[in-house]
Amino acid sequence: MGSSQRPQGARLRSIQRLWPWLMLLIALGLVRLSKGAGFADAFALLSRPFWPGAAQSEWVETAKQQEQLSRLELLEQDNARLRGLLALDQQSSGDWLQAAVISRTASGWWQQLLLGKGSIEGVAKDDAVIGPGGLVGRVQSVTPTTSSVRLLTAPGSRIGVWLPRTQQHGLLVGLGTARPQLQFLDKDIQVRPGDLVSTSPASTLLPPNLPVAVVQSLNARSVPAPTALVQLIASPDAIDWVQVKVR
Amino acid sequence: MTRLHRQPICVASALVVPILQMAAPSWVNLDGVPPSWAILWLLPWSLVDGPLAGAIAGAAIGLVLDGLSLGDVTQVPALVLMGWWWGRLGRRGPPIQRSLNLGLLAWIGSLVLGLSLWLQWLVLGLSDGLIQSWALHTTLAQALITGLLAPLIGSWQLLLWRRRAPA
Repeated sequence: MGSSQRPQGARLRSIQRLWPWLMLLIALGLVRLSKGAGFADAFALLSRPFWPGAAQSEWVETAKQQEQLSRLELLEQDNARLRGLLALDQQSSGDWLQAAVISRTASGWWQQLLLGKGSIEGVAKDDAVIGPGGLVGRVQSVTPTTSSVRLLTAPGSRIGVWLPRTQQHGLLVGLGTARPQLQFLDKDIQVRPGDLVSTSPASTLLPPNLPVAVVQSLNARSVPAPTALVQLIASPDAIDWVQVKVR
Repeated sequence: MTRLHRQPICVASALVVPILQMAAPSWVNLDGVPPSWAILWLLPWSLVDGPLAGAIAGAAIGLVLDGLSLGDVTQVPALVLMGWWWGRLGRRGPPIQRSLNLGLLAWIGSLVLGLSLWLQWLVLGLSDGLIQSWALHTTLAQALITGLLAPLIGSWQLLLWRRRAPA
């Protein structure tokens, strides 16, 4: 009896010694099946301080912007080709001229910019002037080395605009305040606050499809047609450089 | 001493007005509205040099500023009127030199200038209610900032020019 009990006890003790290792193997098997779950997460948590810094993320962002710019150039070329086929005015084929703002009067009786480039560089009356984000105004007078731009906010400024979402035309009228008024031509409008206002795709006076403003509030009871107040995308208060579309 | 308009350096000082108009220093404005630099220069000039010189100086500055500004409205009539009126005040009564007087005259001048521009906008057909509220705001803000700056700038100019052209 005594001799037959010893091997059984020894087997039990050896199993008891092995079971943690068996559990470990099972756990590692689960890790294998889950493609490293837990390990990868733990590594990510521990190595977070050593991750690539903001500089590398900026490189990626720059590459992305370059890709988008090249796509935009291709689309513009394509657009110019299609506009040529439709016999629309070739406004988009002109050059963009960078010009510094040497005098700025964004409020007061006269709302205008004075640019440091004039007729010598090819700037002419009625050229469109674009700030970061969209249209800010049109050239009103030109000297050999300067040009004066009437801002869209100036009283008396009027340009035809287009609402891409509702496919409607309107007239953007300067009121002297920071928010020009959008006068609709139709009585039945589906415009909502937040809608984009751009230049018309078929515009011959201004570059087509140029962002101008965002609808801020709507006055549906205005007569003879509804009106809206819009917020310009390119704020003239904070612009030091603009682009002039030279024809 | 000869009168102010016969002294080239005094006449040349008028160039400061278009320069300040174009420079439009952002730290001198009230709710975004700059002072009327023309009024600030014209007031002491007219008080010292008389009605005719004041009216002519008002016309000259108005023409230059109209050339620099876009739009169809003009500052010339209001500046001529103010130059002539201030010139008469300077010649007829006792010398005006108190800060309050200078500030009040500049405030009235700026108000007249603003109202003349507002009237011209109305004649040109810009009668929208929002434009009217903007014109009222601009008129009042410009009159206030001009009236506040006049004692600072005007009294110094008066002192300088009265030394150069004593009555």
